[in-house]
Amino acid sequence: MNSLVAFALGLIVVFVGYRLYAGWFERLVVRPDAERTTPASMYMDGVDFIPTSKNVLFGYQFKSIAGAAPVVGAIMAAQWGWLPAMLWLFFGAALFGWIHDYSSAMMSLRNDGMTFGGLSHRLLSPRARLILLAFIYFYLLLVAGAFGAIVSGLLAKQGAAMLGLIALTAAGVLAGQMIYRWKRDIVLTSIVTVAIAVGGIVAGTYVPAGALMGRAAANQTLWALFTFFFCYLGAALPIWRFAQPVNYVAFYVVFLGLIGGALGTLVGRPGFTLPAFTQPVIAIGPIWPMLFVTLACGAVSGWHSLVSSSGTARQLERETDAKPVAAGSMFAEMLLGLLALVTAAVAFSGRAEYAEMMKPGGPGAGAVFAIGMGKLLAFIGVPPALGRTFAAVLIVVLAITVMQLVLRFMRIATSELVGDFLPPLRNVHLATLVAAGLAFFLVQTGWWQYLWVLFGGANQLMASLALLLVTIWLMTRGRCVLFTGLPMIFMFVTTIGALAFTAYQLLSKVTQGLVAGAVVVGNTLMALVAVFLIAAALSLAADGIGAFLRLRRERVQHPEAAPAE
Amino acid sequence: MSNRSQKRKEQKPGGLLQGLREFMYGMAVHDTTRLALKTRASMEHLFILITLGDLLGVPILPPYYSLRLLPYVVPQISTWKRRMLREKDLTDSLA
Repeated sequence: MNSLVAFALGLIVVFVGYRLYAGWFERLVVRPDAERTTPASMYMDGVDFIPTSKNVLFGYQFKSIAGAAPVVGAIMAAQWGWLPAMLWLFFGAALFGWIHDYSSAMMSLRNDGMTFGGLSHRLLSPRARLILLAFIYFYLLLVAGAFGAIVSGLLAKQGAAMLGLIALTAAGVLAGQMIYRWKRDIVLTSIVTVAIAVGGIVAGTYVPAGALMGRAAANQTLWALFTFFFCYLGAALPIWRFAQPVNYVAFYVVFLGLIGGALGTLVGRPGFTLPAFTQPVIAIGPIWPMLFVTLACGAVSGWHSLVSSSGTARQLERETDAKPVAAGSMFAEMLLGLLALVTAAVAFSGRAEYAEMMKPGGPGAGAVFAIGMGKLLAFIGVPPALGRTFAAVLIVVLAITVMQLVLRFMRIATSELVGDFLPPLRNVHLATLVAAGLAFFLVQTGWWQYLWVLFGGANQLMASLALLLVTIWLMTRGRCVLFTGLPMIFMFVTTIGALAFTAYQLLSKVTQGLVAGAVVVGNTLMALVAVFLIAAALSLAADGIGAFLRLRRERVQHPEAAPAE
Repeated sequence: MSNRSQKRKEQKPGGLLQGLREFMYGMAVHDTTRLALKTRASMEHLFILITLGDLLGVPILPPYYSLRLLPYVVPQISTWKRRMLREKDLTDSLA
């Protein structure tokens, strides 16, 4: 397979999925009305509810959903071969992903811009809100753990990324100071800070961490501590001081890298060196159900529903803008996942080197991306070593910028959920340390691929819960529920299966004495988190079935009652 | 000009270049702008709550300063009330 052919196929999927299927679903099922007043106009407060251009919102939604997950997931899924990964990317995005993102946005739009907490309370049951919030907390814990493992593993193996990351952090802090304190022009600020970040990446290529730190540069525990200290600053400091301006500068680095990678593919047109299919069962498990949780964000992801409902739906100027914004962003993310798959498929001369990178204790998916992206950037004249460093920094910032926001949310959630029972946890620093400590423990005691699968499982379970809410909502409107109901059932069964399988694997290693020391605690903790997620999802599903039956009964008893929006 | 082409023209005021500029703005700066607005709104709403909290049932003792400030905060009272009284939970802070 040639990489250019892969992208051509991807574009065909976008055309069929967006123009035909999404257009048809929008017209016949959701029936948006361009003239209807949206919450952004109805409740305009100039802050959360504010009518915004669909082009701006498309950029906002895409940036909010595109993190490290579509990149790492696609590279990991290539362990089964590039064909299963590509097929799931295409079919997942075209049949599951866009409909999930779009209908989540529309459901919130038609319910006064309500977020998932309120929607689950209204559509399922009063207890569903609390269960959902607890679910989201553990889901975010797994995000922080999985991303932390990727970042610390990559920094330990790719020391060249260290200076780039430090320069980018310094540039971000400087950006915050220039914008908010010195009131400098945003264009000048951007030029200066991006130049500093890129300068740091170039310098890091020639002065890797090993040259400055000696053998300590390869110590993953040290890098895990560094990663969580970075996230602690992002979560505990005022957001304008650290998290937000660092993310702002990081955006340009990521954007430049991805555009360069896409251009490199266009110019170089490299062929795939990985086999189309390897074997049905790999180290993390069988292709079903594990592939569908390993590759999450490029195909379908629960995170998107949270962004669609909490952020985007409150800013849509017209109901008809929801399709280009939410569905359009999902298809754009599918193309990002495809680019990541291409980097894995062209990175090496054969499968053996790729397998060596992915085995336990190996550098992992982040390093595969760095090597593959370095190769693509070389086609447009970027020196290979610099390209690899740039790509390593890119994947690190994609992960770490999300991590600091996740820990920030976990800090707020910790103090909100248990602050009444444990008043010390209302303290900003203590709540942040608890959240960061839990994630750090997962990183230190778990194999990153298991951690990733658990994160993917939680993510996909979130997606199936979102589809459940959407299905119930469509039912209350008297609309066809097949197109959201069937994906919901598939995602629900598959992800419950994947989480149960992973929990069994983890616990069986403990009971058979195959692991020792802190790993025993780590495996047990991860298995317990998986069991909790399954129990929470089943409880929400039971509430969903209750709501479904209640609605069906009402419709039989009062067939003439017209549903009101 | 037909209705459809007129509608299309209304929907695309700046064409492709304008669309690209807005897309870049959305990716790079929109979050920053929202954050600045949220920060300002939080400060202003806190201020209004302290001075005009009796509008929401929060007892405010000396009404003198509230009355002096009233003309300046009148434009914001409706959005302030809406934000203060809107049902919120943790998922609000996710995006």
